Amino acid sequence: MAINKNSNAYIIIYTVVMVVIVGSMLAFVATWLKPTQDANVLNEQKVSIMKAFGEADANFDEVVTMGRVTDGELTVVDKADKAAVKSVFDLLRNRKNLSEATTDLPIFVYVKDGVTKYVLPIVGKGLWGDIWGYVSLQQTEDNVVITGIVMDHAGETPGLGAEIATEPIQKLFEGKALYNADNEFAVRMQKGGAQNEHQVDAITGGTKTCDGVNAMLATSIGKYESFLRGAEVEAEADTEECACCEECCAEECCEATAEECYAECEANVEPVNVEEE
Amino acid sequence: MKLSKNFTNPLAANNPVIVQILGICSSLAVTVKLEPALVMGLSVTFVTAFSNLVMSLLRNGVPSRIRIIVQLVVIATLVIVVDQFLRAYMYDVSKQLSVYVGLIITNCIVMGRVEAFALGNKPWDSFVDGLANGFGYAFILVLIAFFRELFGSGELFGFEILGDWYTPNSLMLFPPMALIIIGCIIWVHRSINKDLQEK
Repeated sequence: MAINKNSNAYIIIYTVVMVVIVGSMLAFVATWLKPTQDANVLNEQKVSIMKAFGEADANFDEVVTMGRVTDGELTVVDKADKAAVKSVFDLLRNRKNLSEATTDLPIFVYVKDGVTKYVLPIVGKGLWGDIWGYVSLQQTEDNVVITGIVMDHAGETPGLGAEIATEPIQKLFEGKALYNADNEFAVRMQKGGAQNEHQVDAITGGTKTCDGVNAMLATSIGKYESFLRGAEVEAEADTEECACCEECCAEECCEATAEECYAECEANVEPVNVEEE
Repeated sequence: MKLSKNFTNPLAANNPVIVQILGICSSLAVTVKLEPALVMGLSVTFVTAFSNLVMSLLRNGVPSRIRIIVQLVVIATLVIVVDQFLRAYMYDVSKQLSVYVGLIITNCIVMGRVEAFALGNKPWDSFVDGLANGFGYAFILVLIAFFRELFGSGELFGFEILGDWYTPNSLMLFPPMALIIIGCIIWVHRSINKDLQEK
C-alpha cells in the first residue's frame, strides 16, 4: 500500500510521533543530568562565598557556619539538616526572592584566628540585567568594614560595566568602613573618583552599572544593618550575661537553668580567670 | 575514494568557515581562549554529524512539506542534549560559552549540511560529511583561539607561555580582532589555493 507522504493525516501523525519521541528523550536527559548540574551550581556558590571570605582554598563545608537573620537575630542553620541547608542555597539562587526577602536572610559566618567575618549575599540591577555577589564584612569597635567582595553580572557592557566582575575593581572595596560619622551608609562607587575614605572610584563609562552597585550594596547590606550593628551590643550583653551567670553558679541561685549555666560557665570562665590573674 | 574526499574536502578546500563564510558569529564570540573554542568546535561537530545521520536515516519518510521543521527539531534536540551535558560535566566551559551553545541551532553549517547533503545521501556518507564539516569549523576556531589566547593573554589552555616580558595585547581579546584573524587566514588560504581566487 503506497502511503501519500504529503497527506495531512500522514503529516499530523508524523509530527505527533516525532514530538513524543523527542520530548520523552529530552525529559529523560534533563532528569538524568539534573543532580550533577545542581551540584555544580551549589559548588559555584560555595566557591564564591569562600572567595568573598578571602579563603578561596578553604573547604566551605568544614569552616563556614550558615545562618539566617530575622529582625537582627541570627539563627544558626544546622548543617546536618539537609532541607534547611538546601532552602538557604535555593534562596541564594532565586535572585528575585532574595531581593524581596526581609526576614530569614541568609548569612555565612567564618571564624578564623578569633576574627569573625560575615558574608552576605547582595543582589541588584545593573544597566542591562541582574548583578549579584557576596560581600564579606567584619565588625570593628564602632563600624563595619568590608574585607572582601565578589560580584558578577548577567550582561553588563564588556570592558565597561562588566569590569565589576574583575579583581582590580573588587579589591578597591577592601577595608572600606560602611558607615560614616553620621551613621549613614557611605560606601559607594563615586563618579569622578573617591571623595572620602568610604568611597571607591567608579568605572569610567560604566556609571549606570556603578549606580546599580551602589543601590545593591545599600539595600542588600541595609537589610542586615540591625544585625551587623546590633551584634556589637549583643556581644557585650553576652559577657555581662556570663558574668551574671558565673555569680549565679557560685551562689547556686539559678536552679531553673543550672545546666545551661554550668555549660556556659565552663565555656567562658577560663578567659575571665586569666584576665583576673 | 569518494568517502575520503567527503572527509578531506570540508577541512580545507571547501572549509565551511573560510570558504563558505558560515558560522562567523560564533567564531568571533568563543575564540578568546582555546578551551571554550575547542569545546565549541567539538559540540558543533557532534551536532552536524548526528543531525546529518538522523536526517539521512529519516530522509525517505520525511514529508517534504515539513522537512525544515523536522530538521530544526532534530538539530535543536541534539543541541539541547549537548548543552545539558556541558552544564553537568564541563560547568566552567559552559558558562564561558553561555548562549553560544544554544545558538548552534542557528549555525548555518548544521542546517546547510542537512539540507544540502544528508537529505540526498546514505547515512554513513552523511555522518562522515557532518563530522568533516564540524572538524573544519573546529579547526578554524582553534586556530583563531590559538592566536587570540597567545597574544591576548600570553597563555595557551590557561598555561603561561609568554613570560613576564610580554605585555598582553587586550585588543586580541575583542571580537573585531577575531574577524581580522579570520581575514588573514582566508588570505593565506586563498593564496595557496589559487582556484578559489575571484578574478
